[in-house]
Amino acid sequence: MCNFSGKLVAWLDHELPAEEAAEVERHLETCSECRGNVDAFKRVSVEFDAYCDEAIAPNARPGMPRWVPAVTAAGAVAALLVLFLILPRTPGKSPALHAPDAAVTASPAVVAKVLPAPVRSVHRVHRQHVVAPVQNQIENSALAQNQNAYSLPDEPVIQIAIPADEMFPPGAVPEGMHFVADLTIAADGSAERLRLRPRLAGFERRTTQP
Amino acid sequence: MSGDAAPLALPLSRLSTGACEATTLYRELRKPLLRYLVCLGLSSDEAQDVVQDAFLILHRHLASGGSQENIRGWLFRVAHNQARNCQNRYDRNFSAASDAEMDAVSREATPERALLEKEKFQQLGKAIRLLSASERECLLLRAAGLRYREIGEVLGIATSTVSDTVDRAIKKLAEKCNV
Repeated sequence: MCNFSGKLVAWLDHELPAEEAAEVERHLETCSECRGNVDAFKRVSVEFDAYCDEAIAPNARPGMPRWVPAVTAAGAVAALLVLFLILPRTPGKSPALHAPDAAVTASPAVVAKVLPAPVRSVHRVHRQHVVAPVQNQIENSALAQNQNAYSLPDEPVIQIAIPADEMFPPGAVPEGMHFVADLTIAADGSAERLRLRPRLAGFERRTTQP
Repeated sequence: MSGDAAPLALPLSRLSTGACEATTLYRELRKPLLRYLVCLGLSSDEAQDVVQDAFLILHRHLASGGSQENIRGWLFRVAHNQARNCQNRYDRNFSAASDAEMDAVSREATPERALLEKEKFQQLGKAIRLLSASERECLLLRAAGLRYREIGEVLGIATSTVSDTVDRAIKKLAEKCNV
Protein backbone atom coordinates (compact mmCIF):
# COMPACT_ATOMS: atom_id res chain seq x y z
CA MET A 1 0.00 0.00 0.00
CA CYS A 2 1.19 3.46 -0.87
CA ASN A 3 2.42 5.73 1.94
CA PHE A 4 0.04 8.47 0.85
CA SER A 5 -2.99 6.24 1.12
CA GLY A 6 -3.97 7.66 4.52
CA LYS A 7 -3.98 11.25 3.26
CA LEU A 8 -6.05 10.95 0.13
CA VAL A 9 -9.49 11.47 1.68
CA ALA A 10 -8.28 14.42 3.73
CA TRP A 11 -6.65 15.87 0.59
CA LEU A 12 -9.91 15.41 -1.26
CA ASP A 13 -11.71 17.28 1.52
CA HIS A 14 -9.16 20.15 1.46
CA GLU A 15 -8.30 19.35 5.05
CA LEU A 16 -4.54 19.00 4.65
CA PRO A 17 -2.11 21.82 5.34
CA ALA A 18 -0.84 23.44 2.13
CA GLU A 19 2.56 21.76 2.33
CA GLU A 20 1.14 18.26 2.73
CA ALA A 21 -1.44 18.90 0.05
CA ALA A 22 1.32 19.86 -2.38
CA GLU A 23 3.18 16.63 -1.59
CA VAL A 24 0.04 14.59 -2.27
CA GLU A 25 -0.51 16.38 -5.56
CA ARG A 26 3.06 15.68 -6.67
CA HIS A 27 2.61 12.06 -5.70
CA LEU A 28 -0.64 11.71 -7.60
CA GLU A 29 1.11 12.76 -10.80
CA THR A 30 3.18 9.60 -10.68
CA CYS A 31 0.99 7.06 -8.80
CA SER A 32 -1.86 5.62 -10.83
CA GLU A 33 -3.03 3.46 -7.89
CA CYS A 34 -3.62 6.54 -5.73
CA ARG A 35 -5.28 8.37 -8.61
CA GLY A 36 -7.67 5.43 -8.95
CA ASN A 37 -8.32 5.49 -5.21
CA VAL A 38 -9.04 9.22 -5.26
CA ASP A 39 -11.54 8.67 -8.06
CA ALA A 40 -13.18 5.87 -6.09
CA PHE A 41 -13.38 8.02 -2.94
CA LYS A 42 -14.92 10.83 -4.96
CA ARG A 43 -17.55 8.52 -6.42
CA VAL A 44 -18.45 6.96 -3.11
CA SER A 45 -18.74 10.42 -1.55
CA VAL A 46 -21.12 11.53 -4.28
CA GLU A 47 -23.13 8.32 -3.93
CA PHE A 48 -23.29 8.77 -0.17
CA ASP A 49 -24.72 12.25 -0.71
CA ALA A 50 -27.27 10.87 -3.17
CA TYR A 51 -28.19 8.12 -0.73
CA CYS A 52 -28.82 10.72 1.98
CA ASP A 53 -31.00 12.71 -0.41
CA GLU A 54 -33.03 9.61 -1.21
CA ALA A 55 -33.31 8.69 2.44
CA ILE A 56 -34.93 12.05 3.13
CA ALA A 57 -37.12 12.02 0.00
CA PRO A 58 -39.83 9.59 1.28
CA ASN A 59 -40.03 11.61 4.49
CA ALA A 60 -40.35 14.87 2.60
CA ARG A 61 -43.27 13.79 0.44
CA PRO A 62 -46.26 16.00 0.98
CA GLY A 63 -48.95 14.41 3.06
CA MET A 64 -52.03 15.59 4.81
CA PRO A 65 -51.26 18.83 6.61
CA ARG A 66 -51.04 18.34 10.33
CA TRP A 67 -53.85 20.82 10.95
CA VAL A 68 -56.42 18.84 8.91
CA PRO A 69 -57.33 16.28 11.62
CA ALA A 70 -57.63 19.06 14.16
CA VAL A 71 -59.98 21.06 11.94
CA THR A 72 -62.01 17.94 11.15
CA ALA A 73 -62.28 17.11 14.82
CA ALA A 74 -63.26 20.68 15.61
CA GLY A 75 -65.98 20.52 12.97
CA ALA A 76 -67.33 17.28 14.37
CA VAL A 77 -67.26 18.67 17.88
CA ALA A 78 -69.15 21.74 16.67
CA ALA A 79 -71.77 19.51 15.01
CA LEU A 80 -72.13 17.45 18.17
CA LEU A 81 -72.38 20.64 20.20
CA VAL A 82 -75.27 21.80 18.04
CA LEU A 83 -76.93 18.44 18.60
CA PHE A 84 -76.31 18.65 22.30
CA LEU A 85 -77.83 22.09 22.60
CA ILE A 86 -80.95 20.98 20.81
CA LEU A 87 -81.34 17.58 22.51
CA PRO A 88 -82.83 18.67 25.86
CA ARG A 89 -85.97 19.85 24.06
CA THR A 90 -86.94 16.47 22.61
CA PRO A 91 -90.63 15.44 22.62
CA GLY A 92 -92.08 13.52 25.52
CA LYS A 93 -90.06 15.38 28.10
CA SER A 94 -91.88 18.63 27.51
CA PRO A 95 -95.64 18.46 27.07
CA ALA A 96 -95.63 21.98 25.77
CA LEU A 97 -93.54 20.93 22.81
CA HIS A 98 -95.51 17.81 21.99
CA ALA A 99 -98.35 19.55 20.18
CA PRO A 100 -96.17 21.24 17.56
CA ASP A 101 -94.68 17.82 16.85
CA ALA A 102 -97.85 16.54 15.27
CA ALA A 103 -98.31 19.75 13.40
CA VAL A 104 -94.84 19.70 11.98
CA THR A 105 -94.79 16.09 10.88
CA ALA A 106 -98.04 16.58 9.04
CA SER A 107 -97.02 19.90 7.68
CA PRO A 108 -96.91 20.14 3.88
CA ALA A 109 -94.01 22.52 4.25
CA VAL A 110 -91.88 19.80 5.82
CA VAL A 111 -92.75 17.24 3.17
CA ALA A 112 -92.18 19.79 0.48
CA LYS A 113 -88.76 20.48 1.88
CA VAL A 114 -87.84 16.84 2.10
CA LEU A 115 -88.84 16.33 -1.51
CA PRO A 116 -86.78 19.22 -2.79
CA ALA A 117 -89.74 21.33 -3.74
CA PRO A 118 -90.06 25.08 -3.11
CA VAL A 119 -89.68 25.74 0.58
CA ARG A 120 -92.04 28.16 2.19
CA SER A 121 -90.52 28.24 5.63
CA VAL A 122 -87.68 30.75 5.48
CA HIS A 123 -86.81 30.03 9.06
CA ARG A 124 -86.15 26.34 8.41
CA VAL A 125 -84.18 26.96 5.30
CA HIS A 126 -82.00 29.37 7.20
CA ARG A 127 -81.28 26.89 9.99
CA GLN A 128 -80.63 24.18 7.50
CA HIS A 129 -77.92 26.19 5.78
CA VAL A 130 -76.42 27.40 9.00
CA VAL A 131 -76.07 23.93 10.42
CA ALA A 132 -74.95 21.85 7.47
CA PRO A 133 -75.34 23.36 4.01
CA VAL A 134 -73.06 20.92 2.21
CA GLN A 135 -74.52 17.81 3.73
CA ASN A 136 -78.02 18.98 2.96
CA GLN A 137 -77.17 19.68 -0.65
CA ILE A 138 -75.88 16.14 -0.97
CA GLU A 139 -78.90 14.70 0.75
CA ASN A 140 -81.30 16.75 -1.37
CA SER A 141 -79.54 15.58 -4.50
CA ALA A 142 -79.98 11.98 -3.40
CA LEU A 143 -83.60 12.63 -2.61
CA ALA A 144 -84.22 14.06 -6.05
CA GLN A 145 -82.89 10.87 -7.61
CA ASN A 146 -84.96 8.54 -5.49
CA GLN A 147 -87.97 10.31 -4.15
CA ASN A 148 -89.92 7.17 -3.32
CA ALA A 149 -87.37 6.00 -0.83
CA TYR A 150 -87.40 9.30 1.02
CA SER A 151 -90.97 10.45 0.78
CA LEU A 152 -92.05 9.49 4.27
CA PRO A 153 -93.99 12.28 5.93
CA ASP A 154 -91.76 12.27 9.01
CA GLU A 155 -88.53 12.71 7.08
CA PRO A 156 -86.17 14.96 9.06
CA VAL A 157 -85.50 18.49 8.02
CA ILE A 158 -81.90 18.61 9.20
CA GLN A 159 -79.37 15.89 8.53
CA ILE A 160 -75.87 16.19 9.90
CA ALA A 161 -73.18 13.87 8.56
CA ILE A 162 -70.66 12.80 11.18
CA PRO A 163 -67.44 11.01 10.10
CA ALA A 164 -67.15 7.61 11.76
CA ASP A 165 -63.57 8.40 12.77
CA GLU A 166 -64.87 11.12 15.06
CA MET A 167 -66.98 8.64 17.01
CA PHE A 168 -64.96 5.44 16.87
CA PRO A 169 -61.26 4.61 16.82
CA PRO A 170 -59.71 4.22 13.32
CA GLY A 171 -60.56 0.85 11.80
CA ALA A 172 -63.48 0.15 14.14
CA VAL A 173 -66.04 0.67 11.40
CA PRO A 174 -65.84 -0.25 7.68
CA GLU A 175 -64.20 2.26 5.38
CA GLY A 176 -66.66 4.63 3.74
CA MET A 177 -69.15 4.47 6.57
CA HIS A 178 -70.35 7.62 8.21
CA PHE A 179 -73.25 8.50 10.43
CA VAL A 180 -76.16 10.82 9.78
CA ALA A 181 -77.98 12.51 12.60
CA ASP A 182 -81.59 13.23 11.60
CA LEU A 183 -83.38 16.07 13.32
CA THR A 184 -86.91 17.28 12.91
CA ILE A 185 -87.39 20.92 13.77
CA ALA A 186 -90.69 22.11 15.10
CA ALA A 187 -92.34 25.37 14.17
CA ASP A 188 -91.00 27.05 17.28
CA GLY A 189 -87.47 26.01 16.43
CA SER A 190 -87.21 23.15 18.91
CA ALA A 191 -85.75 19.82 17.89
CA GLU A 192 -87.70 16.61 17.71
CA ARG A 193 -86.93 13.05 16.74
CA LEU A 194 -83.21 12.75 16.92
CA ARG A 195 -82.08 9.64 15.10
CA LEU A 196 -78.54 8.45 14.37
CA ARG A 197 -78.23 6.29 11.26
CA PRO A 198 -75.14 4.57 9.83
CA ARG A 199 -74.53 5.14 6.13
CA LEU A 200 -72.27 3.22 3.78
CA ALA A 201 -71.23 5.29 0.76
CA GLY A 202 -71.03 2.33 -1.66
CA PHE A 203 -74.41 1.02 -0.60
CA GLU A 204 -76.02 4.40 -1.19
CA ARG A 205 -74.61 4.64 -4.69
CA ARG A 206 -76.01 1.24 -5.61
CA THR A 207 -79.47 2.05 -4.33
CA THR A 208 -79.69 5.30 -6.26
CA GLN A 209 -78.95 3.68 -9.60
CA PRO A 210 -82.00 2.87 -11.73
CA MET B 1 -17.39 17.43 -2.01
CA SER B 2 -17.81 18.64 1.48
CA GLY B 3 -14.41 20.22 1.64
CA ASP B 4 -15.28 22.52 -1.21
CA ALA B 5 -18.02 24.15 0.79
CA ALA B 6 -16.89 27.49 2.08
CA PRO B 7 -17.45 28.16 5.76
CA LEU B 8 -20.72 29.91 6.30
CA ALA B 9 -20.11 33.63 6.49
CA LEU B 10 -23.19 35.47 7.63
CA PRO B 11 -23.59 38.88 9.24
CA LEU B 12 -24.39 37.30 12.57
CA SER B 13 -23.59 40.42 14.54
CA ARG B 14 -26.98 41.75 13.52
CA LEU B 15 -28.86 38.47 13.85
CA SER B 16 -30.55 39.35 17.11
CA THR B 17 -31.91 42.60 15.74
CA GLY B 18 -32.51 41.83 12.06
CA ALA B 19 -35.07 39.30 10.91
CA CYS B 20 -33.50 39.28 7.45
CA GLU B 21 -30.22 37.76 8.65
CA ALA B 22 -32.06 35.19 10.74
CA THR B 23 -34.09 34.23 7.70
CA THR B 24 -30.92 33.87 5.64
CA LEU B 25 -29.37 31.65 8.25
CA TYR B 26 -32.51 29.56 8.46
CA ARG B 27 -32.64 29.13 4.68
CA GLU B 28 -28.98 28.17 4.52
CA LEU B 29 -29.01 25.58 7.24
CA ARG B 30 -32.53 24.23 7.49
CA LYS B 31 -32.22 21.66 4.72
CA PRO B 32 -28.78 20.33 5.68
CA LEU B 33 -29.97 20.03 9.27
CA LEU B 34 -33.13 18.22 8.23
CA ARG B 35 -31.22 15.81 6.04
CA TYR B 36 -28.74 15.07 8.78
CA LEU B 37 -31.48 14.41 11.31
CA VAL B 38 -33.57 12.26 9.00
CA CYS B 39 -30.51 10.22 8.06
CA LEU B 40 -29.83 9.75 11.75
CA GLY B 41 -33.23 8.10 11.98
CA LEU B 42 -35.67 10.81 12.96
CA SER B 43 -38.96 11.12 11.12
CA SER B 44 -39.63 14.20 9.02
CA ASP B 45 -41.87 15.67 11.71
CA GLU B 46 -39.36 14.93 14.45
CA ALA B 47 -36.56 16.43 12.40
CA GLN B 48 -38.56 19.59 11.76
CA ASP B 49 -39.34 19.91 15.44
CA VAL B 50 -35.68 19.49 16.33
CA VAL B 51 -34.64 22.09 13.75
CA GLN B 52 -37.18 24.57 15.08
CA ASP B 53 -36.02 23.93 18.62
CA ALA B 54 -32.41 24.38 17.53
CA PHE B 55 -33.15 27.78 15.98
CA LEU B 56 -35.12 28.78 19.04
CA ILE B 57 -32.16 27.86 21.23
CA LEU B 58 -29.90 29.78 18.84
CA HIS B 59 -32.08 32.85 19.21
CA ARG B 60 -31.89 32.62 23.00
CA HIS B 61 -28.16 31.97 22.81
CA LEU B 62 -27.55 35.08 20.74
CA ALA B 63 -30.03 37.20 22.68
CA SER B 64 -28.19 36.39 25.88
CA GLY B 65 -24.91 37.48 24.32
CA GLY B 66 -23.57 34.02 23.49
CA SER B 67 -20.65 33.41 21.16
CA GLN B 68 -21.28 34.02 17.47
CA GLU B 69 -18.36 31.94 16.24
CA ASN B 70 -19.07 28.95 14.07
CA ILE B 71 -22.84 29.15 14.27
CA ARG B 72 -23.16 26.31 11.76
CA GLY B 73 -21.24 23.90 13.94
CA TRP B 74 -23.10 25.19 16.97
CA LEU B 75 -26.48 24.51 15.35
CA PHE B 76 -25.48 21.02 14.25
CA ARG B 77 -24.27 20.26 17.75
CA VAL B 78 -27.56 21.42 19.28
CA ALA B 79 -29.55 19.44 16.70
CA HIS B 80 -27.34 16.40 17.24
CA ASN B 81 -27.88 16.51 20.99
CA GLN B 82 -31.61 17.00 20.53
CA ALA B 83 -31.66 13.98 18.21
CA ARG B 84 -29.83 11.98 20.86
CA ASN B 85 -32.82 12.60 23.10
CA CYS B 86 -34.90 10.64 20.59
CA GLN B 87 -32.59 7.69 21.19
CA ASN B 88 -35.22 5.05 20.49
CA ARG B 89 -35.62 6.26 16.92
CA TYR B 90 -32.06 7.45 16.46
CA ASP B 91 -30.73 4.69 14.21
CA ARG B 92 -33.96 3.77 12.46
CA ASN B 93 -33.18 4.76 8.88
CA PHE B 94 -29.62 3.68 8.42
CA SER B 95 -29.85 0.61 10.58
CA ALA B 96 -32.95 -0.80 8.91
CA ALA B 97 -33.62 0.88 5.61
CA SER B 98 -36.66 -0.68 4.01
CA ASP B 99 -37.10 -1.84 0.44
CA ALA B 100 -39.74 0.84 0.04
CA GLU B 101 -37.13 3.49 0.69
CA MET B 102 -34.83 1.90 -1.84
CA ASP B 103 -37.64 1.77 -4.38
CA ALA B 104 -37.83 5.55 -4.16
CA VAL B 105 -34.32 5.73 -5.60
CA SER B 106 -35.37 4.63 -9.05
CA ARG B 107 -38.82 6.03 -9.45
CA GLU B 108 -37.82 8.35 -12.30
CA ALA B 109 -35.34 6.14 -14.19
CA THR B 110 -35.75 3.70 -17.08
CA PRO B 111 -36.36 0.07 -16.00
CA GLU B 112 -32.78 -1.10 -16.73
CA ARG B 113 -31.18 1.91 -15.15
CA ALA B 114 -33.64 1.73 -12.29
CA LEU B 115 -32.64 -1.85 -11.56
CA LEU B 116 -28.94 -1.00 -11.62
CA GLU B 117 -29.40 2.03 -9.43
CA LYS B 118 -31.56 0.10 -7.03
CA GLU B 119 -28.94 -2.63 -6.69
CA LYS B 120 -26.20 -0.06 -6.29
CA PHE B 121 -28.09 1.82 -3.62
CA GLN B 122 -29.00 -1.38 -1.81
CA GLN B 123 -25.34 -2.32 -1.79
CA LEU B 124 -24.40 1.11 -0.52
CA GLY B 125 -27.16 0.97 2.08
CA LYS B 126 -25.84 -2.34 3.38
CA ALA B 127 -22.31 -0.94 3.51
CA ILE B 128 -23.50 2.16 5.36
CA ARG B 129 -25.32 0.03 7.91
CA LEU B 130 -22.11 -1.87 8.56
CA LEU B 131 -20.35 1.34 9.59
CA SER B 132 -20.10 2.28 13.21
CA ALA B 133 -22.37 5.03 14.53
CA SER B 134 -19.39 7.37 14.79
CA GLU B 135 -18.35 6.68 11.20
CA ARG B 136 -21.87 7.32 9.94
CA GLU B 137 -22.17 10.52 11.90
CA CYS B 138 -18.86 11.78 10.61
CA LEU B 139 -19.85 11.04 7.01
CA LEU B 140 -23.25 12.64 7.44
CA LEU B 141 -21.77 15.80 8.89
CA ARG B 142 -19.15 15.82 6.15
CA ALA B 143 -21.93 15.47 3.58
CA ALA B 144 -23.65 18.44 5.23
CA GLY B 145 -20.60 20.53 4.42
CA LEU B 146 -18.96 20.70 7.82
CA ARG B 147 -15.19 20.85 8.10
CA TYR B 148 -13.35 18.26 10.16
CA ARG B 149 -12.87 20.77 12.98
CA GLU B 150 -16.61 21.50 13.04
CA ILE B 151 -17.45 17.79 12.97
CA GLY B 152 -15.15 17.31 15.93
CA GLU B 153 -16.98 20.07 17.80
CA VAL B 154 -20.38 18.56 17.05
CA LEU B 155 -19.40 15.06 18.11
CA GLY B 156 -17.02 16.08 20.88
CA ILE B 157 -13.97 14.37 19.39
CA ALA B 158 -10.56 15.58 18.17
CA THR B 159 -10.10 16.81 14.62
CA SER B 160 -7.47 14.14 14.00
CA THR B 161 -9.96 11.50 15.12
CA VAL B 162 -12.49 12.88 12.66
CA SER B 163 -9.91 12.68 9.88
CA ASP B 164 -9.08 9.06 10.71
CA THR B 165 -12.77 8.15 11.05
CA VAL B 166 -13.77 9.72 7.73
CA ASP B 167 -10.82 8.11 5.98
CA ARG B 168 -11.69 4.69 7.38
CA ALA B 169 -15.40 5.04 6.60
CA ILE B 170 -14.88 6.14 3.00
CA LYS B 171 -12.47 3.29 2.38
CA LYS B 172 -14.93 0.79 3.84
CA LEU B 173 -17.70 2.05 1.58
CA ALA B 174 -15.46 2.06 -1.49
CA GLU B 175 -14.36 -1.50 -0.76
CA LYS B 176 -17.89 -2.81 -0.11
CA CYS B 177 -19.37 -1.08 -3.12
CA ASN B 178 -16.49 -1.87 -5.50
CA VAL B 179 -16.41 1.64 -6.85
